[in-house]
Amino acid sequence: MDSSVHLDNTIMQFGDFTAIQKTDLKIESGEFFSFLGPSGCGKTTILNMISGFLDPTEGDVKIGGQSMKGVPANKRPTSMIFQNLALFPLMTVAENIEFGLEVRGVSKSERKKASDRLLELVALEDSGTKKISELSGGQKQRIAIARALAVEPQVLLLDEPLSALDLKLRQHMRTELKEIQRKTGITFIYITHDQGEALTMSDRVAVMSAGRIQQVADPITLYRDPHTPFVASFVGENNGVRGKVVAADSNLVVLDCGPLGKLSGRSQGNLTVGSDATLFIRPEHFRLQSEEGMHTLKATIDEVNFEGAYLTLNANTPANQALSIQLGTHQFSESLKKGAPVSLSYNELDAIVIAGEGHV
Amino acid sequence: MFNQLKSRFGSGLAVGIVGMVAVWLIALVILPQILMIDYSLRPNLLPVDIGGPKDTFSLVNYETLFNNKIHLSIFFKTLWSSVLVTGLTLLVSYPIAFYLAKVATPQKAALCLLLLIIPFWINEILRTFSWYIILAYKGPLNALLLGLGFIDRPIRFLSGDGGVLIGMVYAYILFMIFPIYNAIESLDTNQIKAARNLGAGWIRTHWRVVIPHAKPGIATGCIMTFMLAAGSYAVPALLGSPGSRWFTQIIYNWFFEGGNWNQGAAYAFLLLIMCIGFIALVMRVFKVGLGDIAK
Repeated sequence: MDSSVHLDNTIMQFGDFTAIQKTDLKIESGEFFSFLGPSGCGKTTILNMISGFLDPTEGDVKIGGQSMKGVPANKRPTSMIFQNLALFPLMTVAENIEFGLEVRGVSKSERKKASDRLLELVALEDSGTKKISELSGGQKQRIAIARALAVEPQVLLLDEPLSALDLKLRQHMRTELKEIQRKTGITFIYITHDQGEALTMSDRVAVMSAGRIQQVADPITLYRDPHTPFVASFVGENNGVRGKVVAADSNLVVLDCGPLGKLSGRSQGNLTVGSDATLFIRPEHFRLQSEEGMHTLKATIDEVNFEGAYLTLNANTPANQALSIQLGTHQFSESLKKGAPVSLSYNELDAIVIAGEGHV
Repeated sequence: MFNQLKSRFGSGLAVGIVGMVAVWLIALVILPQILMIDYSLRPNLLPVDIGGPKDTFSLVNYETLFNNKIHLSIFFKTLWSSVLVTGLTLLVSYPIAFYLAKVATPQKAALCLLLLIIPFWINEILRTFSWYIILAYKGPLNALLLGLGFIDRPIRFLSGDGGVLIGMVYAYILFMIFPIYNAIESLDTNQIKAARNLGAGWIRTHWRVVIPHAKPGIATGCIMTFMLAAGSYAVPALLGSPGSRWFTQIIYNWFFEGGNWNQGAAYAFLLLIMCIGFIALVMRVFKVGLGDIAK
């Protein structure tokens, strides 16, 4: 069955405010797709357009190749898991799960069978007669999943459903969601501001900012080859150093970074000599020893934090460029302390240069 | 309660507050009621005979109603019409309350509430009189309907119960809208979205999600409207015809036309008992507790 979702040149405006800039995006059938972005970036608006709670101002939403123009929310093959779950508190667990089937006129015995099967899927076999208020946070979460799956949707929409859970449970639910997606084979569209969630679960991630999709890629590509300064600084940690392009070929770009000297990195997109650009270096790419082909920055340590498997340093260069550095704990030595000078080297192939001024 | 007041205001002021409430309750509510019960159980006597051998307690005044076919039919008609008023008011108020609580933008909701409240700045008698004018045989409503071609000749709204029903629905609409509005407003909007998302149409969404949540508000609104309708005097007196007398009018007649306070008091208590019994029944049928209503 084709359960792809296509945002076909969609624009969403509220009065004068454009919540979603023109977007053309195809989410494949059976994909685990995430929208990642800070709050207010428009990701929930996208979910509301797919589910039918909002009609796009321009363009169309297609599910399984079918245009959803004029199809109301209750007639769409989508099912949503709400941020606050929105379980019906006045119904039992089983009634909650069966609600969608009741609406469709499924017989009582068939409904019972379905809810038993779904309760088994989410490992809560004996909870059917319980009230919603008797469940724990994680159990409620699973009932919300079961209720959404009961109507056998082609597309499951998840609106930050894990944000209310504690860390341990959240990590556990990530695995579980991925597992359920594998078992059911339907398209999952996941909304989150938590990059950990997006990167661990998704096949592909769309990073959004201010109503615009910045980049769509698989998690590794997103981390290694960000296309825009926003993606580079929003996904994972990054150090951005601004400069002017002095030399560029198809692979490497050299930037004049003023008092920091000339620094180079891999080129991302077309960079012309003389334009503004930002060099991004991940904290984990800094080394204390310089090797062949490396650039070195001189800095002073501001702070040393021990985090178990690794150390994080905050340092400052004489040009007042703040840097954050991550080192394996085995590299610890007494000389790494507040106020001490440090030489930080990076391999130019690990750094990336993007046109424009980064959010740092 | 007294201790709370005491810790907040000191014992002197607390005694004062509780004392005033007590005086209010006892002197203005409880004692008059007891006096009325006493009246209702005694025969109507000449001043000379009061305290004499004829002045004995009996239920004769209560029996009068059951021996008077006309009064009894008006009694039940009042009950039935009050149910009708309550039902109609609910029918009109629920959509308005839902619109105000969940559909309208805050500005629109505020404007609507203002428009609903403004007419209630005018005295109830005058408001009812304006309906008398609107509904009159040669009044504006008939003129409008004739002008639009919906009817061939004017309708006599004011004969029969029609005028009384319209007047009462209008008079008590706020008592219905506000409790329901409060109840619906506390419903998480995602609950409605979730029901829609699972495929429910509007009717089912209301029936299974909104109405169960709003039940205490609906019960409160219905009880208030029913009590006000059953105890209404002005609306039936002004908008009613001789054929649509309300039980309150008969009570009034006993007191002020017949001069028989004892009989009037007995009738008033019968109406009160009927109302309380009816409400208790409805609350049981709809599984609403007193605690739900107090929320």
